[in-house]
Amino acid sequence: MNYSLNAYAQPLTVQQAAHLLRRATFGPTQANIAAYTGVSSTLAIQTLIDNINYNPPPPVDLNDAKTTVGQEYVNSSYDSTLARNFDFRFYYKYWWINMMATQSGNPSIIDKMTLFWQNHFVTTEAAVDEYRAIYKYFMKVRSRSLENFKDFVRDITYDPAMLKFLNGHDNQKGTGGAASNENYARELQELFVVGAKDFAGNSNYTENDVKAAARVLTGWRYRNFYTNGTTFVESYFTSTRHDTASKVFSASYQNKTINTPTTAPVGYNNAGEFEIDELLNMLFAHPETAKFICRKLYRFFVNPNVTQEIEDNVIIPLANIFKSVDPTTGRTFEIKPIIHKLLSSEHFYDVGNIGAIIKSPAEFIVGAHRFFNFPVPIIDSANLINSVKNHRTYAQYIYDRMTEMQMALLDQPTVFGYDAYFQTGYSRNWINTSQIGLRNSFTDKLISGRTLVSGITPLVTIKIDMLAMVDLTNVNHNPSIPLPPNYDVTNCVHIVELVTMNLFATELTANQKTFLIDTIFMINQPRTNWTTQWASYKANPTTTNINTVKSKLEALMKYLLRMAEYSIC
Amino acid sequence: MKRRDFLAATSSFLVPVMVGGMGVKAFGANSPLVQSLMKTDALAKDRVLVIIYLNGGNDGLNTVIPLDQYSQYNTLRSNIAIPQASVLPIGSGVTGLHPSMTGLKQLHDNGKLAVVHSVSYPTPNYSHYRATDIWMTGSDASVQADTGWAGRYLEDRFLNYPTPPITDRDAANATMEDPLAIQIGYLTSTTVLGSNQSMAVAINDPASYATLVGGGSGGTTTDLPCCEAGDLVAFIRQQQALAIGYSAEITAAHNAGNITPAPTYPTSNSIADQLKIVARLVGGGLKTKVYFLSIGGFDTHAGQVQSGGGTNNNLGGHATLLGRVSAGIAAFQADLQQRGIEDKVVGFTFSEFGRRANSNSSAGTDHGVAAPMFVFGSSLKRQMVGRNPNIGGYSNLPTDLNGTTGNQDLKMQIDFRRIYWDILIDWFGRSKTDATSLLFNKSFDTVSLFTDEVCTIKTGSWHDEKTWSCGRVPFTTENARICAGHTVTLSANATIKNLQNYGNLNVAAGVNLSIAGI
Repeated sequence: MNYSLNAYAQPLTVQQAAHLLRRATFGPTQANIAAYTGVSSTLAIQTLIDNINYNPPPPVDLNDAKTTVGQEYVNSSYDSTLARNFDFRFYYKYWWINMMATQSGNPSIIDKMTLFWQNHFVTTEAAVDEYRAIYKYFMKVRSRSLENFKDFVRDITYDPAMLKFLNGHDNQKGTGGAASNENYARELQELFVVGAKDFAGNSNYTENDVKAAARVLTGWRYRNFYTNGTTFVESYFTSTRHDTASKVFSASYQNKTINTPTTAPVGYNNAGEFEIDELLNMLFAHPETAKFICRKLYRFFVNPNVTQEIEDNVIIPLANIFKSVDPTTGRTFEIKPIIHKLLSSEHFYDVGNIGAIIKSPAEFIVGAHRFFNFPVPIIDSANLINSVKNHRTYAQYIYDRMTEMQMALLDQPTVFGYDAYFQTGYSRNWINTSQIGLRNSFTDKLISGRTLVSGITPLVTIKIDMLAMVDLTNVNHNPSIPLPPNYDVTNCVHIVELVTMNLFATELTANQKTFLIDTIFMINQPRTNWTTQWASYKANPTTTNINTVKSKLEALMKYLLRMAEYSIC
Repeated sequence: MKRRDFLAATSSFLVPVMVGGMGVKAFGANSPLVQSLMKTDALAKDRVLVIIYLNGGNDGLNTVIPLDQYSQYNTLRSNIAIPQASVLPIGSGVTGLHPSMTGLKQLHDNGKLAVVHSVSYPTPNYSHYRATDIWMTGSDASVQADTGWAGRYLEDRFLNYPTPPITDRDAANATMEDPLAIQIGYLTSTTVLGSNQSMAVAINDPASYATLVGGGSGGTTTDLPCCEAGDLVAFIRQQQALAIGYSAEITAAHNAGNITPAPTYPTSNSIADQLKIVARLVGGGLKTKVYFLSIGGFDTHAGQVQSGGGTNNNLGGHATLLGRVSAGIAAFQADLQQRGIEDKVVGFTFSEFGRRANSNSSAGTDHGVAAPMFVFGSSLKRQMVGRNPNIGGYSNLPTDLNGTTGNQDLKMQIDFRRIYWDILIDWFGRSKTDATSLLFNKSFDTVSLFTDEVCTIKTGSWHDEKTWSCGRVPFTTENARICAGHTVTLSANATIKNLQNYGNLNVAAGVNLSIAGI
């Protein structure tokens, strides 16, 4: 394996372009793959960064029974009498899914980065519960995704949603035998910054460090949750709840002591802010911090299986870049340079890393909607109610399938995030005997088809039109599908070539192709039967003739999407 | 088609077996299962274990309450303390259960529930992730292990998994057609992880299972892409093969397990839903040995009781969870009894750690150490292992509190692997040698969960709880045994139901041991 972080020097092949797009987005369209083929590795990743829209249109009310349907709501005054909190919380999920799935505009890395960090700094929509707090948190995660990591952690530490989710709000100096609330202090070290253990399995800090950090963090609260008439939530510091005794840390942190200043030092509004900066300086000085974050990014974007060689040759060099001063910003712990480095490297494009991850439910489902060209129905002011129904239902269906497959968006089962990003086996945790069934059920439905909302105009149907896919003369044929050389629709070998174009991350073997042609597609009949059947269909498109060719094509596609190869990226 | 034949067929083939887009029809409705039901194996071979994971770290002190030290209990956690009058006393009344656990109290009264006090392990870990791993692998806290304790047991007993024929060492190498372990839900747990793969299959709804998995691709180890991708494709194909291969058996058992009148279970209770599936599958004759279930929400850092104080402390999130666990297990036990298979099944609850003895200022509890386990089943012979932790009520005895005021943890009395030890040996019939090797070459003392008498585990005083397997001085209603090589000194009057003495008993002058007899 090539471990080099040097930029991959050759123009990207089709397979490499698709590899980058599968990792950096929720899956490419055929047109995306074509656009990134032949581009240099550095320009490719830079484009995915440059394409980011940091000011996406805000979420809107998707309840078509309300007069505010289609209107923005995140900055409106809270009004409990309207009882909209539940709806508004849910619409973020639909909004985010639609951003992941959109095919308008150019693909960017932002939603994949946001998923990474939201799953890193987990708060859940169900526990935070307040729609404005969730939006504030989400936008913070999204806008900080490629910026300075230390600023990011500081922002998250003060975040009202996080203060609620990990009980920072309840954390006050111990009184009458009751201790401070340790929840955030523990996860700040174990999950967010330092990591519990180093690569060799040694503890990175002590139990006492958790208790000391909890005391540093005392006194921070949030306000305005569910408060009528307010337009935003915020956090604040209450000095009377703050523990002002010395906080002494272990040798893991150089025996650092954090004291409460009597007056807030210059640049700080209060002693609490100062102490948090002291705490973060201490955590960021820990030798494992940069490695912990780089390793987690690596597992998410490149390969969950980090060997000793990868630790030594990829993670540590990348961590050294992360720790060093970035020439552009003059600061350490900048995220963008290491993402750029990693996703343009010779190592990233090594064949050993292609197909090395099992698709998450988001990649599996959103990826299929993108690949097979099912764009998000847009909200059309001229046909507001129906277009909102379609827009909402499109995302709701994806959300429900993802939830069944144990990837409830914005609602991780625990603060550790989704199992597949931390448990032994990593992405293999997405697959077991019951998940197989759910994946099959989803892809089968792409073939049998479903209508988003029945009885309305426009009627939007999610169904792979196999006849249109293979027939260049069909009015619904998508011209961005690449064609095999000298493509001939009457040749069943060409059919299999066409429908598998860019479908899998890896190449099928000759054996597999033969099996697909003869056993699955031709059902062990002579290959020439297809030529005859296609000719009959074109000459005389009766229901019987249509069904003959269509059912063959659909059985083939159904089979392909059930293949193990379709589940990796 | 039998699972064995199915897998044999796929292993000679490279890619999925499906014709015309559907494959589920390939499996005949007549599973070999129905025939195999007729064959009655020896009891031990048929025994089933149900593991219930309380995810998040259960607050033990509000689950099992030391009524003998109520004022100390109240001092430690006045903002979340259960009012004394609301606690459900069990046994002699020194110990009580949370008021929402009426079902478990009933089971205890009927001799079908054991409370194991203060379970943990040396050098406890406070991280959810790491502590869960320690419990599931059965390793020492200092050891990073990557297989589950139940997975190792299954791997050791059943040969060749997952490649058929899978044979059962305990049944003269008879072929095992059914899943070795089942996890209800969509994820598989470390507990059932073997050395190369999970020993469990995951199912959510047995009724729709076969339809969902039918026709997937089940290939083997040829025609794989290179590198990591090849490993992943092989892994997915194996899961596909298992899903399809087992679907017929699971469906058949689920159908066979449908009885009238339908067993009654509480609704809106996820653990009851899972237990209901288990009872039906076991009742339907599935030979699966281990079921793994879980219920989340036990990480109660704040607001674990309803605000307002007094009897409001009996309500709230933690009470709801305990109520679900209790009602679910009680309904399950009644269901097993109705089906006449009560003696085949034993279960236990566990959580990655207990919580701090003192509450925090936000009406919650932070990560702690020891907590009680519940073991349930009609085959149990013990209702209590260990005793209430000494939280200050007994100044003449060593305290069970560790740490400074406000940061106090409960010390361990019973290592969790002693429960695993009894299950491996007395429930699943492993030899001590086998059990030792399954637990990373460590042997443990029994806690006498399944034996008629409690026994000594070392030389010592009769009145010292550490002398006895049950972690306390034997009750007057219990049989006791002094094991060979142990000398027990009786320095005060005591009563016992019966005593078998294979060692030495030194009775101080003027002291009597009364044998109550049967």
